[in-house]
Amino acid sequence: MNAIDATDRHIKTSDGPPPSLLAIILDTNPHAWAHLSSTLPLSKAVANLLVFINAHLASGNANEVAVIASHSQRAQWLYPTPKPSSPRSTTTTSNGHDSSSQNRSRNRDMDMANGTTALSDSANKYRPFATIEHAIQTNLTALLSTTTATDLSSTTTTLIGGALSTALTYIAKSTIRHSPVDPTLTAAAADATNPSAHLADSDGTASTQRVSLTSRILVLSVSGDLASQYIPVMNAIFAAQRQRIPIDILKLAGDTVLLQQACDATGGIYMAPAAPQGLLQYLMMAFLPDAVARRALVLPGAGDVDFRAACFCHRRVVDVGFVCSVCLSIFCEPLTDATCLTCGSHLSLATAQTAAPALIPRKKKKRKRAPGEAVTPAGSNTPVPGGTPTHA
Amino acid sequence: MSASTSQALDYLEQLPGATHKKLYQQPSTALAVFRCMLPHLAKTIVMAMLYMTGPFPVSDLDAWIRPDAKAERDQSITVLESLHIMSTVQESPKVFAYKLSTGFANSLRQALTGGGNHKSFGVPCNAPDKHKVDVAFLDKYAREQWESILYYMVGSTSGLRDGQALGQNVGNGTKKLLELGNFVNVRHGVTITKTGFTFLLQEVNAQVWSLLIVYLKQAPGLGMSEVDVLSFLFMLGSLELGQDYSTTNLTDTQLQMLEDLNDFGIVYRQSKESTRFYPTRLATTLTSDAGALQNASTDFDNALRSSRAGKGYIIIETNYRLYAYTSSLLQIAVLNLFSRLTTRFPNLVSGKLTKESVQRAIAYGIEASQIIDYLTAHAHPQMQKNNPVLPPTVMDQIRLWEYEGERIRTTTGYLMKDFNTEAEYKDLLDYAKSLGVLTWKNDAKRLLFVDRIEQISQYLTNKKRRPEP
Repeated sequence: MNAIDATDRHIKTSDGPPPSLLAIILDTNPHAWAHLSSTLPLSKAVANLLVFINAHLASGNANEVAVIASHSQRAQWLYPTPKPSSPRSTTTTSNGHDSSSQNRSRNRDMDMANGTTALSDSANKYRPFATIEHAIQTNLTALLSTTTATDLSSTTTTLIGGALSTALTYIAKSTIRHSPVDPTLTAAAADATNPSAHLADSDGTASTQRVSLTSRILVLSVSGDLASQYIPVMNAIFAAQRQRIPIDILKLAGDTVLLQQACDATGGIYMAPAAPQGLLQYLMMAFLPDAVARRALVLPGAGDVDFRAACFCHRRVVDVGFVCSVCLSIFCEPLTDATCLTCGSHLSLATAQTAAPALIPRKKKKRKRAPGEAVTPAGSNTPVPGGTPTHA
Repeated sequence: MSASTSQALDYLEQLPGATHKKLYQQPSTALAVFRCMLPHLAKTIVMAMLYMTGPFPVSDLDAWIRPDAKAERDQSITVLESLHIMSTVQESPKVFAYKLSTGFANSLRQALTGGGNHKSFGVPCNAPDKHKVDVAFLDKYAREQWESILYYMVGSTSGLRDGQALGQNVGNGTKKLLELGNFVNVRHGVTITKTGFTFLLQEVNAQVWSLLIVYLKQAPGLGMSEVDVLSFLFMLGSLELGQDYSTTNLTDTQLQMLEDLNDFGIVYRQSKESTRFYPTRLATTLTSDAGALQNASTDFDNALRSSRAGKGYIIIETNYRLYAYTSSLLQIAVLNLFSRLTTRFPNLVSGKLTKESVQRAIAYGIEASQIIDYLTAHAHPQMQKNNPVLPPTVMDQIRLWEYEGERIRTTTGYLMKDFNTEAEYKDLLDYAKSLGVLTWKNDAKRLLFVDRIEQISQYLTNKKRRPEP
């Protein structure tokens, strides 16, 4: 009878790892890809990425994927294709079964020929894979064909901040959909009540709920010079950190301070491969393992992380700068009118502008102690409450 | 990997290497085996090796995987080796390396890239069907067929008045199969056996696999090739629901199978001569595991709500009272196996778990853990928010009632003895522990008892061949 111990209670844990959502941000900055075209053209990179996506979907039956293009002017969904009617569509894409019809209907007028070829050779291809590949290729073609020369000339960078926020919102939505509470109930509640109140509620109880979806973000980055978006990206990083969503970075070209910090802050993997030709092997070996598998693996180290920040006034990466004492904004040079650009507080810059701050010996203050005052420990200026008031 | 596919894995593991080799020629099979038979870490290892140019040195793999995940690594590698997906090769006198089987790797690469011209993912019909059926119809068809099989099994034992009338439309082939699989005993009318109970309390997905494995074992006797049958099943798992597929590319064995699967409700055909077939949800979820089903989109819930016992309908209180929101006769019959039902309303039955009812079920051959698993799996969404899902007192009491009846538990297995050195004993002990096959040990006498021997013997042979440095 000793065998029956209450501590030996059999609690049914879920079989296998939880489904994993992988949000991929593909940097489609035309300038950077043009630069890379000799070693790794975009078409080849996309082909490799598609194999990687298929591998991810094959690794878990409920695994999902979302692909966002971070283009020069905007962040654009590649998969799932947003419904044309409402920009914030809640496409359910469990292995992409049901989005196929919608993709087909959307693309009917554009490229019917493409759609039929995708269907006819599907006997050689697993259907969910074919659906996703078709959607990504169609959307990417559409994105590239709508890019005009003026778009190209206006900027040389990419909208990584927008893409990160889009990915985070999608992940948040998917997490709600996957929570163990009946999804129909959740949907009804979200519709009926104020959505923000609902979100706040789910956020507060996140720790008590069983987590049923693990998410991560993979950024395939080719652009440098992202400091201009320091604030939005940093905000996205902190949001990801709070939601425990690792951001993995595969840096094919360029070098930014920012993305390395993103990995470091969120516990993701940073990799800047020396040979971009071997993209697929890098993806398969380092970025395919999900959170569960990563626990069992020795992960590639980030090396030295550059923690420098970009200033708020000129977006320059600075070693030493000036910080507003009220809102902690960073500036690369003293402000002209001594007013913070972010919060508008008037700052006294007199001491900061002296060439070398002089060390002034501190005077020992003699404190007058009022009679009857509680004795505070030496060295501590924190007021200590006299006594806890007790309720009768 | 889940309980439902583990029995399929057990079956696959005992097949000879030549059969595996033939199976892996189909990309759909390679993909299905990868998707649902491998442990999670094994998938990671396979994917890392898939596009590698050469073999993966053993030392590199060991360096890649953390030392504290050694047990998982050993288990993954054992499964991969027993399925003949990976093998050890000797690179040079000192260096051993893992290598993916060429056939498997090629097929998996084809599956991922969609290359080749193998048509293993089903050939959709080009011409539109005159009598096109929709998903709702397919779900209804699958549910009716599968439920009638379950009714047939549970009918006589359930004690329900209309129990005998149920399951009359089960085909003779299916009845025979249920008997061969020892799910029912037909000597004096149809009575359900212990295996049958186990079957009944499983999830739908696991039930389908159990029946199909019985089917597979009978296949050679019926002149069907095991490889054909298996690859057809794996192909079915990769089809899309609601799409009609052509029968033109199928072998004779597979055409013969279509008829039987039609009886089970796994595929739907208009008539026996029809050149097209529709896979039902039972087929398309064959290679998905329980996790996928549990998290599946809402349409799946609605579709098989009554057949797979919905998304939870049972509420149990700490006072052993049970409320089940169901009107399905099958679910009531199953509940009636281990509880005392008292009241029935249009959408609700209520009753109580009592000592007599649970012990009666145990006398039938149901195990306490099966009852607990069933209740957990079908707990109402409100209950699922609790952790643990069931009230602990109820779980303990069910188990205590079981222990009252049985004082001895038997485990069949193998006793390992006569170890030469303490180190040798310790080494094997650790390995057996990490595999989870160790049942009992005695350090003083250097004895240990394991319930499975295949992996242990493999390990010992490997060790003999490759002396420790």
